[in-house]
Amino acid sequence: MAVCVAIIGKENAPKFIRCTDRDQELDFHYKVHSSLDIIEEKLLAASHPKATEPREQFLGMLYATEEHKIYGYVTNTKMKIIIVIDANHQALRDNEIRAMFRKLHGAYADAVCNPFYIPGDQVTSKKFTETVLSLLVKS
Amino acid sequence: MRSAVSVILSSPLPDPNMSHPDYEQTYHHHANLLILVKHVGEELSAKNFNKIFDRISRVNSGRIVDSGGVTRNIWARYIKDYPVGNNDWGDFQTHRRLLGLITVGKCGSQKDMDELCRVHESLKVRYNSTLYDTRCIMYGALVENQPSSESEGGQLPTVAYTPPSNFKSRGVYFGNEADPESPALEDLISEFISSLFWVLESKRHERSREKIDKVSLLLAPFEKKDFVGLDMESRSNKKRCVGRMTKHLGDLCLQAGLAPEALNHYHAAVETLRSINDLLWLGSACEGLSAASMCVRFPNLHKVQSVQRNTSLQETNKARNSNPKGNQGSEPGSSNLQVHSLPNNVLSNDEICKNYRESIIHYSKYQHAGVIEVEVCFKAARVAIELNMVIQTASFLQNIIFITLSLPEEEKIRKLMTLSELYGKIGFQRKASFYQRLAATKYVSARNPQTNWDQCYHLMLQSLSGHRLSLDPSEYPAGGNNGWGRLQKQVLQDVVVAAKRVGHSSLATRHMTLLLQVMWSELTPQERHESAQQLQVIAAQCEGSPIPLVLDTGLVIPPANLIHIPTAESFVVHELKPNLQPLKLDKIKEDYGPFLFTPLKLKSQERKPGVKDKLNYLWVAEEEGQVEIELTNPLQFELEVSNMRLLTTGVVFETLPLTVTLPPDVQKYMVTLTGTPKEVGELEIKGYLTHTLGVKSNCRLKYLPKISRPQFTIEVVPALPYLEASLNIGSSKDRSGSTIFLYAGESAHCNLVLENVGRGSVEFIEITSDCDSSVVHVDIENLPSQLPLPENGKISVPVTVFAAGNFMNSFPAVDSTSVKSSVMSGTNLSSLSSLRPGQYSDYPSTTPTPSFRSGPSSLSSLTSQMTQMKIDHSSKGTIEFHLKVKYSGKPGMDAGYCRLATVTLNLEVSNSIQISNWDVLPAETSNQFYLVLDVVNLTNQEVEIQYTANKSILIEENESCRVPIPIDRCPLSKIGKFFQSEDSLKEVVDLNVTCSDHIASLVDVKWVMGDRRGVASLKGITLSSHMLDVVRMSPILWEISVNDEDPNTNGTSPYAVSIGECVQIRVVARNALTRPLTNLSLSVLFFQDYQNGTCNYNLEGKLATTGPSYVSLPMVAELGAATMECCTVFFYPGEYKMSVQCNSQGRHTWKQMPPLEFDVQDVA
Repeated sequence: MAVCVAIIGKENAPKFIRCTDRDQELDFHYKVHSSLDIIEEKLLAASHPKATEPREQFLGMLYATEEHKIYGYVTNTKMKIIIVIDANHQALRDNEIRAMFRKLHGAYADAVCNPFYIPGDQVTSKKFTETVLSLLVKS
Repeated sequence: MRSAVSVILSSPLPDPNMSHPDYEQTYHHHANLLILVKHVGEELSAKNFNKIFDRISRVNSGRIVDSGGVTRNIWARYIKDYPVGNNDWGDFQTHRRLLGLITVGKCGSQKDMDELCRVHESLKVRYNSTLYDTRCIMYGALVENQPSSESEGGQLPTVAYTPPSNFKSRGVYFGNEADPESPALEDLISEFISSLFWVLESKRHERSREKIDKVSLLLAPFEKKDFVGLDMESRSNKKRCVGRMTKHLGDLCLQAGLAPEALNHYHAAVETLRSINDLLWLGSACEGLSAASMCVRFPNLHKVQSVQRNTSLQETNKARNSNPKGNQGSEPGSSNLQVHSLPNNVLSNDEICKNYRESIIHYSKYQHAGVIEVEVCFKAARVAIELNMVIQTASFLQNIIFITLSLPEEEKIRKLMTLSELYGKIGFQRKASFYQRLAATKYVSARNPQTNWDQCYHLMLQSLSGHRLSLDPSEYPAGGNNGWGRLQKQVLQDVVVAAKRVGHSSLATRHMTLLLQVMWSELTPQERHESAQQLQVIAAQCEGSPIPLVLDTGLVIPPANLIHIPTAESFVVHELKPNLQPLKLDKIKEDYGPFLFTPLKLKSQERKPGVKDKLNYLWVAEEEGQVEIELTNPLQFELEVSNMRLLTTGVVFETLPLTVTLPPDVQKYMVTLTGTPKEVGELEIKGYLTHTLGVKSNCRLKYLPKISRPQFTIEVVPALPYLEASLNIGSSKDRSGSTIFLYAGESAHCNLVLENVGRGSVEFIEITSDCDSSVVHVDIENLPSQLPLPENGKISVPVTVFAAGNFMNSFPAVDSTSVKSSVMSGTNLSSLSSLRPGQYSDYPSTTPTPSFRSGPSSLSSLTSQMTQMKIDHSSKGTIEFHLKVKYSGKPGMDAGYCRLATVTLNLEVSNSIQISNWDVLPAETSNQFYLVLDVVNLTNQEVEIQYTANKSILIEENESCRVPIPIDRCPLSKIGKFFQSEDSLKEVVDLNVTCSDHIASLVDVKWVMGDRRGVASLKGITLSSHMLDVVRMSPILWEISVNDEDPNTNGTSPYAVSIGECVQIRVVARNALTRPLTNLSLSVLFFQDYQNGTCNYNLEGKLATTGPSYVSLPMVAELGAATMECCTVFFYPGEYKMSVQCNSQGRHTWKQMPPLEFDVQDVA
């Protein structure tokens, strides 16, 4: 299922990227990087003064390539969580993706609750990494 | 929308496909008349053709009044080349039909003209199926200097050459292609457009009048064989025919300037085609519907289209910026919305997108419609951009990637570039950069037969911005960690490779340097190592230097610097050496106001923030300054850094280059850079220059992460002379360096030599010493006459050094018996012989032992106070003192600066002699007393002590001896005031000090040791109260008369009396003080002295006294006298002594000295 998980900071700098295949890491970097355009656009649209509804954190699928589908999630503090799903895998339902995001969000929140974590730094929490790895390996 | 390319048709026809998509397609092209403008022949230069093409392109619209009296806006689109394959799709979408042909050529001969006509005809044949009309523009066909004019056929005599007879087309002849702004060409084109319009209009009418049941089936090129053998008469097929025809009509209407009608046709076509599932044509109808809606809504928007086609990326960015995102619904054409009432079947924004989406989905089902699909995607994306629907645009563009077309690399690049451009327009800079990079790699991919590294390089450069990279190192945040390090590293690395392949070694070096500068924190040590080595290789071809490079395109590449190789850990601007530092000549007393501290900020203090980074020390012009840098070599190989220099602004600064070789992985390697300021003013040290790995770098402090200050500002003061000061201790034997060995009390002479070794003459010299003037005395009498001191001049100043020491034992031995025993024992007995033996035995009570033992507590406190009062130089050990020479000269002196040369002199003082103990004895006269000193020789040589003018004594090493020194008593004039009330301790102390000074001023014990001599002063001698009585003059003056005559008339011999004789003794004690003495007692005491230290006071049986021998007086007035008389009778012969003493208040006892002696003789 998930082949890559990325946490992107408020300023669009990556705080954490982990993927299943080390050799393809640069590819995933490219993919996650270019998906930020769409996230920004979506955030901009949501922050439009006319937009009355509160912004939903789950942004849905950002874009798809032949091999992967890329989903985005933005916290209220503009931290972005991006999950790359293998497109060849049987289709995941939307709420399964949401559940993954929620899990990641929770783990991230736990990680930054560490009083020794300086906001804006790379996320190095072991527990958070474990959560991510569980998503990467699972099924 | 995801394209699962389902192949409806199994085998493709030989050439049913369009060769490649036109990536520039917009919705508005649906309404254009397509005209091919072809350059033929070789006579006409490409440049001139382009000029002519531009002129033609400007005439892209015409307003034509049709038969119904309605004004139609007709648009034309000019292209330079058109594949026939694309033309074949003309039935499917009429705007793909090539309607007009214009050939442009030049002929210089009849042969040329024949050739032009031939090519024109062949082109006509090629597009024969669709062409409505043609023009052949020929330059040079008219005779020169004749007005150009249109002519038909070529019969006119002005035409130089005649076209061949089989040339059936319309030729237009012009004289000179360079003919500027002749309106003839524009007129011709307008006429041509209207000619095309009328043909089109007639075709439209023809089609619209066709009977519904007679319409023919329109086919897309690849569909031709699908319908073979199908029942053409079926109901669905009829519908198909009608649907397609309706759609076709819509196309024609749109082209003919009837957008609203086209809208109606499209609506009808969509319905018809949907009902029979004719998906390909349904897609086309949907697309047409969207295009027509856009045309209706923005009829004038596309006026600028022809210009926009060739705009560069930058301008499109501007266009996007000027059209802010949030501005939905207020597009440039919106003003027209109010003018024309829109037909109610026009589509809204969302519907337009929905229709485009639908058409894309439908097209995607046909493999052969790939080109159409790509084009519709681009069109849709452009429409979405115009409608400010960014997300839709992105999805349309994203879809293009899924469409698989086998295209040559060149076309792929164009596709990618168009994608990049459109992504850029909607602000997706990351995507835009990604596709730019992709395009760049296509330029040099293995499949591309014509690799073009130059293009690749330029695209790579353009794609930097989308990766948050810049060529200017100053644009990077200081903290680094800007994200995407892995990508950025890769991107920069690729740029380096591209630059290298292009052959720009200088650029490759520059980019590699940039990579090492800005990506340093992202690089692993291994990558750093590799990159550095790579840089070394590249830079070997072309050295990098910190100057901007300008590309052919005008792009300026700012310099990059290797600020991390080597890494500066610290940067310290050193103060000048102490002897070179300039000082303010006159210390201006700083005015702090009346308060020691004030929270108020005065104006003078407010100015400070401006110069807060100024160093608080000074440099001197023409004087070498030093900067110390700690360098770390982060690389695993030896790093040679050459030509290291300081980078400064402000005053002219001459910096010396330095070359260092840093060992692998060395940490904090100290390097000192030097330089000389040449002018007076402020010097700003901005950083340093390096040349390493073949790259010259300006390492500015503000970019160095470990240096906190952006620059160092230091004041440079005018040049000052330089004096070298040294001490010439010539006369002294004991010298080692600047250390003088002296025995306490000895003095030495030496010379302070001042040599001017700098530039300019010394005009001012001031010599001070931080030591007491009694120790060091500098004779500066002759100094002023020797100034100014010229260059290389020398001045010698005599200096006298005296080894002042404390010779008095501050704490005399508590157990003085040990002193005594040492005095008494051994060889010293002989030296004691100089003492009068009787003087010790006379008054045992005055020997030191009891005097020090009496009241030890009060004495010790007194002693300690005395110790504090005296000027204390540790009598032993080393005294270090400095001679400070302040000097100055022009021009620094005028600016108020001077320099300080310091000479340090160590004075090592050894003990010579010491007074270990002392006591006082009354002398024979009442005006004097004896000071008895125990002098200890602390040296290891024999010392001769000269204790009075003509008396001396030798003391062996480490021995001591006792010497008596007769001294005048302390006169009453000095101490009279202390008799007043002696209660306070302070008075006792003051009295003590006065007496001690009195002794010290009178006595100097000189010592001689070989050829060395010195003086031991008795300064600091302490006296007990008993001693004080002896030391000071007695306030009582004695007048004694025996038998009414002065016993001293016959000298000091005893007064002769006989046994039984009554001796009348009269004692008068006069008060010499200016105040009365109270509570006095006078007493007379007879005793016998056995001359062996014992006295017999018990004389009761030997003599008898009449009258009082003891008188108590309550008071003796000032200058008054007290008298006592008594008579004595001696019973036995012998020598008797009489002592007379006066006691005051039980504290002071004054004795008459010497005691009166009686020689009692037997009456024979």
